[in-house]
Amino acid sequence: MSIVNKFTVRRAEITVAVVLALCSIALMTKSAQNRITWSAEENMGAGFLPFYLSLGMLICTVLTIVKFILKKSPQSKDTSAFIDPEAFKFVSVTLISLIVLVFTIGYLGIYFSLIFFLAFYLRYFSEKSISFITIFSLTTPILTFLFFEWLLKIPLPQGISEPLFYPVYDFMYGKITMPIKMIFIVLTIFLPTALVLLINRFIK
Amino acid sequence: METFGLLLDGVFTSLQWFNLALLIFGCLIGLFVGAMPGLGSVNGVAILIPITFIVPPTAAIIFLAAVYYGAMYGGAISSVMLGIPGASTAVATVFDGRPLAVKGEAMTALTAAAVGSFVGGTVSVILFTLFAPPLAEVALRFNAPETFALMVMAFATFVGLGGDDVPKTIFSILIGLALSTIGLDLITGKPRLIFFNIPGFLHGINFLVLAIGIYGIGEMLWTLEETKGKVQMSKLSVNMKEVGRAFGALKKTLMAMNIGSFLGFFVGILPAAGATPASLMSYGITKQLSKNSKEFGTGVPAGVVAPECANNSASTGSMLPMLTLGIPGSPTTAILLGGMILWGLTPGPLLFTQEPEFVWGLIGSLYIANFFTLVLNIALIPAFLMVLRIPFAILAPVIFVLCVTGGYAPTQSLHDVWLMLLFGFGGYVLRKLDYPVAPAVLSIVLGPLAENALRQSLILSDGSMGIFFDFASKPIAAIIMYIAIVLLIMPAFGPIYRKIFKKSPSKA
Repeated sequence: MSIVNKFTVRRAEITVAVVLALCSIALMTKSAQNRITWSAEENMGAGFLPFYLSLGMLICTVLTIVKFILKKSPQSKDTSAFIDPEAFKFVSVTLISLIVLVFTIGYLGIYFSLIFFLAFYLRYFSEKSISFITIFSLTTPILTFLFFEWLLKIPLPQGISEPLFYPVYDFMYGKITMPIKMIFIVLTIFLPTALVLLINRFIK
Repeated sequence: METFGLLLDGVFTSLQWFNLALLIFGCLIGLFVGAMPGLGSVNGVAILIPITFIVPPTAAIIFLAAVYYGAMYGGAISSVMLGIPGASTAVATVFDGRPLAVKGEAMTALTAAAVGSFVGGTVSVILFTLFAPPLAEVALRFNAPETFALMVMAFATFVGLGGDDVPKTIFSILIGLALSTIGLDLITGKPRLIFFNIPGFLHGINFLVLAIGIYGIGEMLWTLEETKGKVQMSKLSVNMKEVGRAFGALKKTLMAMNIGSFLGFFVGILPAAGATPASLMSYGITKQLSKNSKEFGTGVPAGVVAPECANNSASTGSMLPMLTLGIPGSPTTAILLGGMILWGLTPGPLLFTQEPEFVWGLIGSLYIANFFTLVLNIALIPAFLMVLRIPFAILAPVIFVLCVTGGYAPTQSLHDVWLMLLFGFGGYVLRKLDYPVAPAVLSIVLGPLAENALRQSLILSDGSMGIFFDFASKPIAAIIMYIAIVLLIMPAFGPIYRKIFKKSPSKA
């Protein structure tokens, strides 16, 4: 964790300012692929605004760097750690798990990815029992499915798990009366809880 | 009289069962997000906006305005009980709310906060009703140059009144504007800033991606770092005797209520200000003017009432420019404004004539929401305390799930979810280094509107920028532009002022 301690606010300030300056230059270069001139006859080129906005960004980052060199900003004098090691664990694990979540959504689909994400996250950070984590990790994707796919009619990505949902769609849009559908929804929501309780009883 | 009739229509619109149900639901969610440390109105509205696509715009705005409103009430709960502001708007509530709770008078603090919020909300919504129609009438005469000048003033207010590092504030404004130019150019039809030829950039960057990234993911990372899951809850006894005593203590807070309500409303109208500076300012002024100013900070009800009045009043105030001018008065209203565009409405004064049901439904709902939130707030205090005991490790992943699904739903593209993660992390790092993030969100919402107004103005003037500074032909645009310039150069005079009056920055 010593690297975390050594990365001070001061160091972060200059690193971020330099990265932002480079990004501004990249934006200017990209904008210049379109016409960046402007005259009464030709009107404004498509690249004019993005180019000058990024130029403005570059000037701001240069000013931040100048303030840093002259030690005029509070961050330029701050030699405390940018993030303390304990908090670093929270932030980095959260970020990595989110990246893995979005990455797996493309392959496994959102619902299965959420199960793994929630199970991992709760196991890592909370002190809850395995039963609680299982119920929570299974119920949340079910509620997400019902809310988005049924109520809002917004399909979420399903990746390779898509064929598994065909029977559910058949049921959702089939000729089944609403009360039976509602009973099914309620049963589905409580299914994980019932399963976990049953398994617990069986193991005991 | 006409206004009264329209207001009555609006009240009836918001009392329709569907709208009323959404309003109460919105108040509850608002109270919840306000009470949770790390979540405020802006986070709640940003995360929830995608789910409003299935209801009509009037119902959607009533729901989101109720969330906004409820969050202003709810912020006080964690400020008092945990000593951690539920949202930045409730920072000033901690100053006296927490000491009251430590002294064992938590109920007094919570009642003072709820009543203060109610008074601030009521005064501001009356002022809103009085000011909105005439302002909208004036704004109806605005053309592209005036609209552009107004938007420049909105950006300039952040620089002049924001109080943050000036280059960093301007950077934040410019990056928001630059992000808003990504996609197809509306005039020439040419693609702009399509990085690595990824097709996802062709449809531009939806403001929600940035808003959910910064206020959902970024804010959660920030809160995880700040709290690390450790919170200390105060003890609270809830009974009628305590509530009665708490109301008795409010007799001496009349001045705080007045200052908070009126100051909050007018500060809320300013584009850069919003509820946070309004609450801090009204706390400061009430303290200065109070006979017992030395007692402030040790736990006096007036110290809770002033900021709570102000933050509710400012939240209503910030909706005034949003509805009448199409300029948001706070980050939350910036997101609401973006929502209006998504719902197919054109923000601005025309709303009053073209969509009266929407406008007056919203105004009417503010009256109703104010009442319901007060009742729900006091009645559900024990329930909110239970919610506050939920470990952050459980709440955080649920919010992440909402962010990921909310980021995906509007465009149904994983590309946007990746961008949201990037903005979330970027926003978190930048915020840690004191880059203000609210101007970026405001800019990405206003960017396309500002660009349109600029280019239309330049077509009108044959490419001359003089159109914005010509008192003879465009007096309103010129006045607004000069005010914007004054605001832009104002920070440069800070050091000179201090030199003349020999004040050190820390003392000033």
